[in-house]
This record gives sequence, structure tokens and C-alpha cells, in this order.
Amino acid sequence: MKFSMSRALTIARREYVTTIKRKAFLFTVIAMPAYFAFVMTFSVSLGSKAAKRAMTETNTIALVDSTGLLAETPPQMTVEIVDEGNPFDTSKKAPVTNKFAAEVRRFPDESSAKAALQKNEVQQVLVLPASYMNDGGARRYTKNGGIIGSSGRERALLRWLTGALLAGHLDSSLAERAVRPGKGLVNYQLDDKSQFVMQNDMRELLTFMVPLALAMLLATSIVTGGQYLLQGVAEEKESRILESLLCTVSTDDLMVGKLIGLGGAGLTLVATWGLVSSYFGAPMLAVADFNMPFTTLVIAAVYFLLGYTFYASIMTGIGAVTNNMREAQQFAWMFTFANFIPFITMTATINDPNSGLAVGLSMFPMTAATEMMLRLGTGAVVPAWQLAASMGILAASAWIMLMISSRVFRIGLLMYGKTPNLPEILKWVTSKG
Amino acid sequence: MLEVRNVTKVFDDRKVVNDVTFDVKPGEIFALLGQNGAGKTTLIRMITDITRPDSGTITLEGQPVTSPSRPRIAYLPEERGLYRKVSVLEALAYYGELKDLSRKEARRQAVELLEEVELAGWAKKHVHELSKGMQQKVQMCTALIGDPKLLVLDEPFSGLDPVNVRLLEDILKKRRETGVTVLLSTHQINKVEQLCDRCLMIHRGHMVLYGTVREIRRQYAEHAVYVSASTPLPSDLEGVIRMERADDYSKLVLQRSAEAGTVLKSLIARGVAVDSFQPAQPPLEDIFRHVADTGSGLDQGRSGKLGDDAIAALSGGVR
Repeated sequence: MKFSMSRALTIARREYVTTIKRKAFLFTVIAMPAYFAFVMTFSVSLGSKAAKRAMTETNTIALVDSTGLLAETPPQMTVEIVDEGNPFDTSKKAPVTNKFAAEVRRFPDESSAKAALQKNEVQQVLVLPASYMNDGGARRYTKNGGIIGSSGRERALLRWLTGALLAGHLDSSLAERAVRPGKGLVNYQLDDKSQFVMQNDMRELLTFMVPLALAMLLATSIVTGGQYLLQGVAEEKESRILESLLCTVSTDDLMVGKLIGLGGAGLTLVATWGLVSSYFGAPMLAVADFNMPFTTLVIAAVYFLLGYTFYASIMTGIGAVTNNMREAQQFAWMFTFANFIPFITMTATINDPNSGLAVGLSMFPMTAATEMMLRLGTGAVVPAWQLAASMGILAASAWIMLMISSRVFRIGLLMYGKTPNLPEILKWVTSKG
Repeated sequence: MLEVRNVTKVFDDRKVVNDVTFDVKPGEIFALLGQNGAGKTTLIRMITDITRPDSGTITLEGQPVTSPSRPRIAYLPEERGLYRKVSVLEALAYYGELKDLSRKEARRQAVELLEEVELAGWAKKHVHELSKGMQQKVQMCTALIGDPKLLVLDEPFSGLDPVNVRLLEDILKKRRETGVTVLLSTHQINKVEQLCDRCLMIHRGHMVLYGTVREIRRQYAEHAVYVSASTPLPSDLEGVIRMERADDYSKLVLQRSAEAGTVLKSLIARGVAVDSFQPAQPPLEDIFRHVADTGSGLDQGRSGKLGDDAIAALSGGVR
């Protein structure tokens, strides 16, 4: 039977509608972003509260000063630390200044100070040995109190120490500048138009974060669409629906229809996430004066098309040769995993986006789409030939995989019972009919 | 209507279908018989263009079954399923649309078919809410939608209760009257005798029986008669070699030269109250079993006539 686009589109429509109406689909659309939003908000808020509490609650510092430099320092200390807050918070709230207040209690020796720490009479011990002025070898003792609180306390303590060391030697405003020399620092950068513009940290962050998110969405949409396809083919094979369909439609109608319909479902899922994130992220993008380059979106769309065809063809073949979903998943996981390898090697890509590893992964069909998006995300200039070669290799691989899968699909759909081994599958691929 | 010519299909160097040739006439209900693994499903898949023969041709109204313009074929496979999480109407209409019906026409035909199989009240229920028998009827409808010219049905009666078997038989007869041709594969031989005009039996890929049910039974007939009478039968009838008594009838095995009519005349002349008298033609089921056991049939002798040993073997199986 010859391929018919109208039948393929009928199949695509059914696959699409059935999939997006599934409770599991709706749950994924709503629950995944809600879950991430909850986790992010909860953890950021908890962390920020913990840091604030650690800094602002009254501390007692045990000071063992063998240098005599701090003999004149008053027993109360107060340090102001400006909380720069959540970098993603776009509201125009004034920065909050936290006051770190502590009582400084002097101890004659290190052992008595440490004993006081063990008895919870003090929260930290600062030991300045007699040699401190020569080698800076101070010691600080604390209880295990979590990284967030501990780093805040250390930052405040060191700032106080700087001020205390300078007190009496410099006038107060000079001492203040020495403690916080970069308080009002503004950075300017030369932009593409040879103009010096004020550095926008948020834009710097977004320039990488947005393509990273795009790479993540791309990989997820490719895998999601492919997984729907695997599930669809495996379920239909298991429930013996296919044989009655195959008298009416060709295997090519069925395969193309499924590819379009389920790819559409995967894309809908990711597009919904993308739109929701853009809606909530729009104010932040506006504040950062961030514009997604149109070419990046076009490149992402091309990679989705090619990557999805490649991956989904493999999933179709797996669904056709296996007997049920469980068996299909056992074969599918390694291909799914391959798609996410670029996230494992992401640090190397960020450090050197044009390294051999990064170039290699962006040429390898299974990782090409995700890796190339990550490379582009770093802002690196990817040579045009690499982009063309990567897309070319992926397109050729997708086409070959589609042809192989079509043959395997045609034969595998009607085979029940034994799962064929690789030589048998190769025989199907090379057989004439 | 359907012409199958010298069709052969080889899997792993084994001829699963071996040089099979037969015709199915328009408006005929034709049975395809054979044991499990005889090659029926492979033959059906080639007729329905799901797989292709290695050699030979299959045409429908003169056009190859592979041609996009050939008349519509519908197929109800033995191993079948339905989309379970959709309504019965949607499931059926989808099959209609795949057969190039418009969405509206597909729904119209689906409603009509559901009425025909007495499931109109279940149209909006999900398929998984239906009993097995009901699902079976919906599956039958998936084959019937789109007005196919050739209906290929593999074990259509399995899973149906006697009332629904009758309903399905009526549907098939009705379709036959409108010119639809039915190719039926079943193990229920009694249904073949009741419903089918002609049949083909294949055994290990070879054709072994082909013709009308009557012809085949006649081919395998023994030179004997079944008699049931209200009065005892005389034991010394002329032309009778031996008499085998069963509960409500007797089988009289005749000499080669004796004719059944002469024996009937003798019985009446000797005052026997004959209730029924018929030539001893074995039921199709016994012929099927014999052919399956021995592999004898067209490919062995082409004549279809059985030797004395075969007749003796068959007579033992006659009830």
C-alpha cells in the first residue's frame, strides 16, 4: 500500500489528541513547573532566611589576642552587610542592610576559649597568635553550623577584624573605604557597537541561563516525544491493534502519522513550559534588557526537528521489535541517557566551548542537538562549518535511521513472542520484502 | 473477484505457503481451513497486502492487491485489539476515517453499524467498559465500516455466545446479498458447512482440499448409506457387506456393484418403516481431521478420492 499523507494526518491527529487528553500529560504540563517553582522558592527562601538569622542573631565571639593590637577595641561590635537578595528578583526594592551584632569576650588563652565554645558560651573563637603580624596565621574555631550561616558569620567577622586593625591608625572614613573598597563600584564594558555600557550582571547570567534552559527544553522535548512514540508503538503492538490497521493503512502512514502526532505532543508540552517560564521570566528579561537572538531560536527549531526525527525513529524501531513496554524501556534507556550526556560534560563545555570534546559531542548525532545549544549558550563563536557539519550529520543520520526503522517497523509489528537479536534485525533491514 | 495464482512465501528457507492457487467468486462466502501453523495467516496477510508473496500473483477484480485503486479490503485478524480509552463511536469512526471516509460520514456509518450489532446504546461508553463479546462485535464493525468489497475474517465467531453467533451469521449473509465477498478462516467446521459456499484447506502450506462443501463431502463419500427406521432392519439384505448399528441409525456398507436405490427398494419391499435414508458422506470436520492427520489431498493425488484405507479410517470417525 502506498503512503497517503491524508491518512498519516488522520493518524497524527488521533495520536496528538489522545496524548494531550491523557491525565498523565496534563499532570506533567502542570505539575512539573509547579514542582520546580515550589522547590526553588522554598529552598531559596529557606537558605536566605538561614543566612540572615545566622548573621543577625546575637553572637558572642571569644577573642584570644596575643598581639595586643586589639586591646583598645570596644567589647561590642556591629557590622553592616548589604543583602543583595535574589538575583532573579526584578522588583525595585531597596537592598536590605543586615546588621551583624556581636559581643567580643576576651580570653587569656586558646584552651579556655575553646572550652567556652564547647559549652556553648560563645559561638566562635578567633585566635590571633603573637606571630600574626608577620605571617597572618590566625585561627578560627566554630561549631558545625551549616555552610550558609558559617560563611556569613566569617564574612562579618573578617570585616570587623579589618576595621578593628585599622582603628586608630586611619581616620574613620578612610578606614571605612579600606574595609569596603568596592562598595560603590560600577563596571562598564565595551559592547558590540563599540560603546561603553554599564555591566548588567543579570544579563550576563541570562545570556547563559536562557540557552541552557533552551538546551534543556530541547533535550526534554526530543526525549518526551520519543518516549510517547515508544509507548504508543509498544502498547499498540501488545494490544494487537496494529494488524487490523495495517490492512487499511501502510506502515509508512502509521509511522509518519505517529511521528508527527507524538512529536507535536512533546513539543506542546515543552512549548507550554516555555511560555509559562517566559511569562514569569519576562519582567526579569526586560530588566536585564535581554533579547534572545532570533537565529538561536531558528537553530533550536532545526535541531528539534532533526534530533526528534533521529531519536523517535530509534524509539519506533525499539517499540516494533519488543513485545511490551517494559522490554522496550530496557532498550530505550541508553539512547535517552545519550541525549543528556552534554549536561554531564557541561562544565568542560563552559570552560572551553571549542574544545575537542565539545566539538566532538556536537558532531555525534545522539548528542549533537543538546551540545550545540549549550555551546551557543556560552556565547562562543561556533564556526559556521561546524554548525553546518553538525546539522548535516544529524540530518543524514536521522534519514538513515528513519529508513532502517521503517523496515524494522514493517516486519517487527507482526512478530510476536521472541525479541529478535541484532543479526536478525540486520537481516530484516537488508531483506527485500 | 479474488484470484490467487501460484502464490509462495518463504520464511527462513521454509515454504510457509507453497504454490497456492484459488479463486473466490463475487458475493461468495469462502472458507479458508487448516490447522494452526498451516499457513492461513500468512496467506491472509498476503491477500490483505500486509506482506508480499515471494512469487505468484494476487488480484482483486483484475487489479493487483498492491494497487492503490483496487477495491477496498477489510480485515479482522484473529489476534485483535481496540483502542480502549476512547468511546466506542470514536474508535469506530477512526477506522472509517482511515478508510478515507469524511469525519461526518465515518460517524454516520459507525452509528448505523452499532445499531446493526445491537450496541447503539453503548456508543458513548469507553471500549474498556464493554464485555468481551461486545468488544468482539465492535471489532467486527471496524472491518465492516467503509463498505468493503472483500471482507477477510479470521476466526470471527470466537468469544461470541450463540445469540451473537447467529447475529454475526445474519450480518454476513446480508452482506453477501449486497455483493460483498467474504473470506472466512475458522476452526469451527460446522459454521463452514452452514455458511460457506466453497472452501480451501491448506496443510503445511500446500492446498489439500478445494471446492464446494458438497463436492468435497461427495469426494470423500464412502460406498455406504445411513438408515434410520422405526422397525428392525433385516440382516440379510442383498448388496450389503455389513451393518454397523448406532443408537438411532445404522450404517450399511455396500458391495461395489450395489446401488443405494436398489437397497432402499429392498428395505421397503421387506416392510421396513424407513424414516431416513442418506448416502454416507462424512461430515467436513472428519474430512478435515483425516486430511490433517495424513496430509492427503490435492497435492498428493489431485483427484481428492480416497483409497480404501482412507475410507476405512474415515468410516471409523463417522458418528
